[in-house]
Amino acid sequence: MRDRDDEEEEDIFDSVVNLEGSHLQQGFDDGFRDGVAAGKEEGREVGLKTGFELGEEIGFYRGCCDVWKAAIEKDANAFFSARAQRNVRQFDEQLISYPLLNPQDERLQDLVDTIRAKFRAIMSMLSIHLDYEGYPKPNLTDDASF
Amino acid sequence: MSLRLVQELAGHDDRVWSVAWRPGGGPSVLASCSGDKTVRIWEHSPGASPSSATWVCKAVLDSAHTRTVRQCEWCPAGKLLATASFDSTLGMYEKIGTEISFIASFEGHENEVKSVAWNSSGSLLASCSRDKSVWIWEVLPGHEFECVSVLNGHSQDVKMVTWHPSRDILVSASYDNSIKVWAEDIDGDDWRCVQTLAAPGRGHTSTVWGISFNATGDRMVSCSDDLTLMVWDTSADCVSTSADGVAPWKHLTTISGYHDRTIFSVHWSRVNGLIASGAGDDCIRVFDELRDNVSTLPGEGLSYAMVLKQEKAHSSDVNCVRWHPKEPRLLASAGDDGVVKIWELVGGDLPLLSNESLPYDPHG
Repeated sequence: MRDRDDEEEEDIFDSVVNLEGSHLQQGFDDGFRDGVAAGKEEGREVGLKTGFELGEEIGFYRGCCDVWKAAIEKDANAFFSARAQRNVRQFDEQLISYPLLNPQDERLQDLVDTIRAKFRAIMSMLSIHLDYEGYPKPNLTDDASF
Repeated sequence: MSLRLVQELAGHDDRVWSVAWRPGGGPSVLASCSGDKTVRIWEHSPGASPSSATWVCKAVLDSAHTRTVRQCEWCPAGKLLATASFDSTLGMYEKIGTEISFIASFEGHENEVKSVAWNSSGSLLASCSRDKSVWIWEVLPGHEFECVSVLNGHSQDVKMVTWHPSRDILVSASYDNSIKVWAEDIDGDDWRCVQTLAAPGRGHTSTVWGISFNATGDRMVSCSDDLTLMVWDTSADCVSTSADGVAPWKHLTTISGYHDRTIFSVHWSRVNGLIASGAGDDCIRVFDELRDNVSTLPGEGLSYAMVLKQEKAHSSDVNCVRWHPKEPRLLASAGDDGVVKIWELVGGDLPLLSNESLPYDPHG
């Protein structure tokens, strides 16, 4: 029996008695350290990929918007109804104010959804259909049959 | 009160999803749409009553779609028929005399279109889809149509859209368990969601399949996979509204304990004030407001009770129930059994809408 004063003194049997515990702790520490390193690496890759995809999509919309703006300037009423012209202006504003360089902005996802919706609306108004490879397709496994 | 089967209309080769009575004058016309990709037009013998078993199929419309037609709706003037299809397009047919021809197809949705609806003046069309969006289209002269707005907000498949009976307010129901109310901005710039009716708080706890307004547009009823009907109210009268011109909707009462399978369709008659429901247990039910307590102040202790249950209305799920727009006793239904049925309400005093909108009247 030891009393409290002896706690700081190492018991020669401590390392044997706590063998399993210390192995567990060591294993955990090693794993955690390696995990943090691997996680950071994977995180960087995912961030790069997502950032690239988002940038590419916004860039695609930017390009379309620039072409439409130029066409409107050249000959406004040729293909663009008043509503279409107003929507292209709104689309332009949405793209300009998109926080592309601020990955921490909470509105990133919602704003890109709004931009996508505006893009589809303008496509419908102009009776065109544009697809580009990076465009996210809706989930095909949803309940389609009802 | 009971339902008498007027006639069973067979012909579709697959489940019938939806039926629509043609508004406007003249003899009654019923449109039905199906998984067989067609719309069928049914008419009764001229001169005969619509509650007589003289209905025949007058036309099979098959040019619009390459997949299931999920819903069809006539415009308020009865001249145009809009269709919503799983092929991701909307279709438009025009009725001129006895001819009905396919005049337009609208693309835009990314996948299955689930519902289509006309506003009360016929100037706007709304559609919704599994792509989670609600689209609003404007009807231009010469039957041209232009997309006005693409509305995101629902987080899942949108099952149905329907317009307020007199104002340009749109309501949508979704697999995400919520009901959303949409209105145009005051400056007319765009449309947006002005209210979401969902849990937490009063709201459905599973897919909302349908919504229907009453005649005056101050109440609406929704049906859900959670086995309940919910009645919503804008207690404010139409004059006092919020800043954006839309009075908020509040939950009035839940009608529960009557259904034990998903309720797929609900319709509030604009003529007799009764609510009909179609469910996955093959039954049609009719509900009425309890009016026995004269001293009840409006909104207090209000409840609805079932006044009729028609078992085995179809031999499978009932997908749609629709009251006739003029005849107080006629009801049409569509089922997974591929059949359309026309029913007549027999017996019972119908609460015909005359002064139903008056509140507590001390003189009785």
